[in-house]
Amino acid sequence: MEFIDGPLWYFSLTVFTIGVIWRLVPLIFGKRTTDLSVARGSAASGAVKTVFSRFIPHKGMASQVSLQIIAGYMFHLGLFAVLFFAAPHVRFLDEHFLGFSWTPMPHWAFIVASQFAFLGLLMLWLHRVSNLVTRLISTTGDHVGSILTFVVMLTGCLALLESFEELRLLHRFSVELFLIYFPFSRLMHTFTFIPSRAFTGAWFGRRGINS
Amino acid sequence: MKFVSVLMVLLFMSMPLTLSAATDEGIGERAVIVANPGTDLWRQVRQRDMAIEGTSQVKGVDSGILINPQADRWTRFRVSKLVEYGQIVLVGVAALILLFYAVRGKIRIEGGLSGKMVFRFSDYERVLHWVLAIVFIFLAVTGLTLLFGRTLLIPVLGHDIFSVLASSSKEGHNLFGPIFLVSLLLMLFSFVKRNIYARGDMTWLLKGGGMIGKSHASGGFFNMGEKTWYWIVILIGLVISASGLILVSPNFGQGRLIMELSQVVHASTAILLIAVSFGHIYLATAGTEGTKEGMNTGYVDIKWAEAHHDRWAKQCHENGKVISAEDYARLQGKTGPASVTSSSSAGDGARS
Repeated sequence: MEFIDGPLWYFSLTVFTIGVIWRLVPLIFGKRTTDLSVARGSAASGAVKTVFSRFIPHKGMASQVSLQIIAGYMFHLGLFAVLFFAAPHVRFLDEHFLGFSWTPMPHWAFIVASQFAFLGLLMLWLHRVSNLVTRLISTTGDHVGSILTFVVMLTGCLALLESFEELRLLHRFSVELFLIYFPFSRLMHTFTFIPSRAFTGAWFGRRGINS
Repeated sequence: MKFVSVLMVLLFMSMPLTLSAATDEGIGERAVIVANPGTDLWRQVRQRDMAIEGTSQVKGVDSGILINPQADRWTRFRVSKLVEYGQIVLVGVAALILLFYAVRGKIRIEGGLSGKMVFRFSDYERVLHWVLAIVFIFLAVTGLTLLFGRTLLIPVLGHDIFSVLASSSKEGHNLFGPIFLVSLLLMLFSFVKRNIYARGDMTWLLKGGGMIGKSHASGGFFNMGEKTWYWIVILIGLVISASGLILVSPNFGQGRLIMELSQVVHASTAILLIAVSFGHIYLATAGTEGTKEGMNTGYVDIKWAEAHHDRWAKQCHENGKVISAEDYARLQGKTGPASVTSSSSAGDGARS
């Protein structure tokens, strides 16, 4: 028990922090080849535009990807709300990291947000294994990432009553495994999706591509 | 004289105490019964069949009820009948299925599978099915843990471990319950059109789905058995969900009687659905050849379709929706690029 609350917690935090920086630094500050083409538009406006435009599916694709879009928003918004506005998380962040807190969401909102997150994640993962294309392009790492995320959420919700130390430790242990795995997986899209969209958008913007 | 009078009064007041103490110590032979003045009152309260509602300063549902005799009956029913019969039903159905499998074995397609496939379920339908299935299994496991835990799990795990398990089961069960309801409603809307009973379904039933006699039991996209399973899931699922919502939200003015009835309805209908689901799981996996592929890949063998859904298979043949084994292998990414249309477009027309 002390191992989970102590050494393993600090180890997983260290791996997570160093790993994320190690992945992000070359992505943002890495040397790139100079684009010698004549600029036909603004790279900066293209970058900003693409970062936001990708939140909405392309008109021609909307009907075909509606399941992924709806489930994707359900999962990500639900997880965001649970992660940053659940009362135990707000308290934990205040006591261990930030030194300040904000108003947590009420219990009923936590339940609804986590139900959205669970249903969204289940649908996304099942679509991943059901659809012929996504099944073929998915790696073992994708499945491990999905399952780890699910386990973290599940153990958190099972410990909701906050009456059993064992359940809290189980949740914390699953979070630690998640943190250790995070930098080496596609879970990194949490941090890379904005630079990735911006890079693509800037490239398109400079060439005058409207996408 | 005044002193003597006071002494007599004091002596008289101390008599019951003295006699009682003497009895306790076993000195006196005579048993003196000192009646509790509240005995009659409590006997009257307890011997009522139904809860008597009085008045109370506390405002709230059932706050005027001193003792609810119905709760005792509910507790006894839950412990002695529900738990006992629930176990018998679940173990009995599982045993019957195993026995049937031992006698009948896997029902194979006559002449074997052809390898030629036909599209049956879209990605969305399969995702919906599996969401409902996973959530149902989770709810079944956590629900049965709560229902049977006291009799089955505590003797094995002990009180400490079981209390952790029960707490997590309760939280998980309450959390996933509404997800089951949402999945159920989506299932209702997505599949209802193809599950309305039609002419010919009764013939399928009379032939036991082909298990009785040697003649073929004709079926459309869904046969009578599948339609019945669908309506069992929907209707019993809605009853389970409604009673579950009453239990999980006790702050909407429902009294104890409604909560107790809801618990009985919730548990008994859930046991029934779990028992029937054993049959569905059996038939979809070990029971019949070629069935599980439909929900795994979206495609089924045309021979399987002809055996179980001949009217739908005929439509597939007529509309040219049957694809070769090679094309199917390509679609599954086992060889080169596919030469057939996408799964969605291939399936939409064939399912009419």
